Amino acid sequence: MYRREPSRQATWVLGHLTTGPRDEALAGDLLEEFRAGRSSGWYWRQVLSACIVSWSKSLVMRAPALAFALLWSTLAPAWKILVDGIVDSQVFASLWDAPGPLWLPFACAGWVALHATFLWAGILAYLLTHTLLGKSIRQREARRAFWLAPLLFAPAAGLTFLFANLYWYSVPGLAHGRLAGTSMGQIADFGALPDLIRVPYFIALLASVWTAIPRSKRIVGHLPGAFAEGFGAEVHTLALSSSSDAGVVRRFFTLMVTMGLLNSLIAGFLLCRLPDAHSPTLGSLLLRAIVYVALGGAAGAMGAYLYWQNPASPFREDPPVPFPLFALACTSGWVWVPAAVIFSEALSAGAALVAMIGAFLLAAGLRSATCLLPAPVSSAGAQSNPALFEEALYKAPAELVGYAIALCLYAALVALVIRWNLSAAALLALGAALFGWKKTIPRGQAFFTTREYRRAALRAAFVVVPAILVTAWALIEGVAYRNRVQAGVDAGASISSAAPKPSEKDEAKKFASRVSGYESVILWPYPEKDEIVAPRLRETSLLLPGKTRPVVIRFTGAYWYLQPPDKWPGPKAHQAHGSPLKVNVQSRDDIPLMMDAHQSLPADVALGSCREIDVDIDNFDNKEGPIGVALLLGDGPNTSHRTLYLGQQPIVSSQPQHFRLKASPVSETLRFTVPAHGDLRKFDEVTVLILPGTEHLWVAPRIAVRQFQFIPR
Amino acid sequence: MFSRDSVDLGNFFSIIELMASYLGEFELMLLLAVLHLGDEAYGVPISRELERHRGRSVSVGSVYAALDRLEGKGLIVSSLGDPTPERGGKAKRYFRVTREGLRQIRETKQVLTKLWQQIPGLKTDVG
Repeated sequence: MYRREPSRQATWVLGHLTTGPRDEALAGDLLEEFRAGRSSGWYWRQVLSACIVSWSKSLVMRAPALAFALLWSTLAPAWKILVDGIVDSQVFASLWDAPGPLWLPFACAGWVALHATFLWAGILAYLLTHTLLGKSIRQREARRAFWLAPLLFAPAAGLTFLFANLYWYSVPGLAHGRLAGTSMGQIADFGALPDLIRVPYFIALLASVWTAIPRSKRIVGHLPGAFAEGFGAEVHTLALSSSSDAGVVRRFFTLMVTMGLLNSLIAGFLLCRLPDAHSPTLGSLLLRAIVYVALGGAAGAMGAYLYWQNPASPFREDPPVPFPLFALACTSGWVWVPAAVIFSEALSAGAALVAMIGAFLLAAGLRSATCLLPAPVSSAGAQSNPALFEEALYKAPAELVGYAIALCLYAALVALVIRWNLSAAALLALGAALFGWKKTIPRGQAFFTTREYRRAALRAAFVVVPAILVTAWALIEGVAYRNRVQAGVDAGASISSAAPKPSEKDEAKKFASRVSGYESVILWPYPEKDEIVAPRLRETSLLLPGKTRPVVIRFTGAYWYLQPPDKWPGPKAHQAHGSPLKVNVQSRDDIPLMMDAHQSLPADVALGSCREIDVDIDNFDNKEGPIGVALLLGDGPNTSHRTLYLGQQPIVSSQPQHFRLKASPVSETLRFTVPAHGDLRKFDEVTVLILPGTEHLWVAPRIAVRQFQFIPR
Repeated sequence: MFSRDSVDLGNFFSIIELMASYLGEFELMLLLAVLHLGDEAYGVPISRELERHRGRSVSVGSVYAALDRLEGKGLIVSSLGDPTPERGGKAKRYFRVTREGLRQIRETKQVLTKLWQQIPGLKTDVG
């Protein structure tokens, strides 16, 4: 008998292009319908529809993975800046040179490893979250995610780099985009440039964790006879309920603690302020500390209570522990939040220490007070009566938590070294909480509510006193930090001749007090000692007709450090005093740095009266690579600011054939010829443009202008 | 003020909870079809039943997706039958409504009946 067969291609598509395990029942149904007289077109439509449905179902199932990859990759710009800092550091510069001719593969492997660390930390966080929420992880796929991440990152980063180079000026906001100076600013920035940085991390992370989560289990019963044995809902539902209770309780418990912590943090950031007084009394600080500690505890309890009591919470009807006991246990952690917040605002490493202490106390307190929570099944029973020599063959199971704690500690140390205090605080808190939860020895199962209340209250009371003292210390540190910043900004603003308008000045102060990186920098040389000079008549021109001796003008102007497309420092420019021979100004993003020196002359110079200008400079730059100097004359007071470019001269001591490491600055004189005629008739401003080679694009050269000599014609 | 806020929040969560537990139109139809077919409820007859009543073609893939969803909610259970040569050696997947499923069907019917009865002109249409 002839039997109709559907299109082989369609059957292949159904078997291979649907996600998840192959659905035999669906394939059988389609075949049965087809053989019952349906058309090939119908078969194809059903197959395509099944593909679409399975893909959308798979996407919905993996929404947590998608959301996590998105969230984690928002941190990527801050990580990239950190990695760039590490790669550019002196330690790594020497490491790169170590392998000799193999430097390229060595450098590539190092670069991938540095970026992969971020992805591995993300995968670990994702898997840990899954474990904490009581969900299962497929070990094999989880392991595969770890090696898949760096393999995917490298091509994704390469393609992103290629795209960025091709469309750098086409994508709006890319060419002019720049990263914020602080890690928080970089994370919160969703401009074109940071988003482009996030892309390869997002792709690599999403693809890595995509398969690591378990797919939905399908009931694989057998034979319709199973119906007769009551495959009713009760048995199934009861089985599901009893197996998921522990997971549900653990998940909601984590949610309550997190919500309390978040609420406490929000209250801390919004309400915990430093006193207005420059030198507050100790009593007022202590009083403020008591209020803040109470606020931290109350806000945490309120945040947890709202979620505890909401109708979706299983704890509302059947709490595993009474809420007051839970709140008392958690209070020992929440009370440290205000201190950590104040320390973090003062850019102090104390934030990390306090966060670590708070997280440990919170986790240990919870572990101690909630012994009724279902604990994971221990395999200790199997080893209670070990056979002879069994202990010698026993292999200790790998503890994921141990690796996570170690990773947190190492990452926190790195963050502390580069002064990322907030990140260090978060990492140390996570590590301490994991340690506190896993390594605190739980008491026996006997649980007497009254005794637990007493213990939790005593614990909270013991913790509150040091928390108040530490908060007071944080307030003192915060006030001192604010006073220092205020003094620095005031000094810079008062000396600056081009002081910004009052509103801009306030803004600049605010900016300078919060960030460690700057939009641009204006560096003023230290003021010279006051000289007593005989009064002289005001000259209308520096080089009057008949003068034969050169006129020497010492450089007293400012150095500007900018990034294109800016041509002058904005209102948020950071102003400081110092010598360009000693300061280290670097670009913290991929945009090159420009350095100019600006000198206003005390009187005009007629262009026709000046034959040459000698610029005396000091070179104290120990980075290899040629540096040039160009001169620009300007006629400032004119409404139409006109300039005359005098060309550029190389700094001889920076040329490869003359380069040597300098223990002291090397002086040089660069001569620029002034044309008798030009676009200007006179000038009163000289701009020295420092033109670095590619080696100095991101690090400002240590070049200082000492003086100008105007030689008469 | 606090109590009022918490009441509002409670209402909000209740609404979300209710929305998640409601049966959709397609899901209700599927439950009724499975109930009607009894021990013969597997993909092909369920799809045919739906096509017969709705008067338009049904995607078997989306039928299975909805059945999976209902199974996740505990309203139906499934089991595999024997592989047969007519189906290329592939087994049938049989479905059956659970007690919870029956309860939800009855509840939905009551709500819908009450709602329909509030519309005077359409009272006679409701069985």
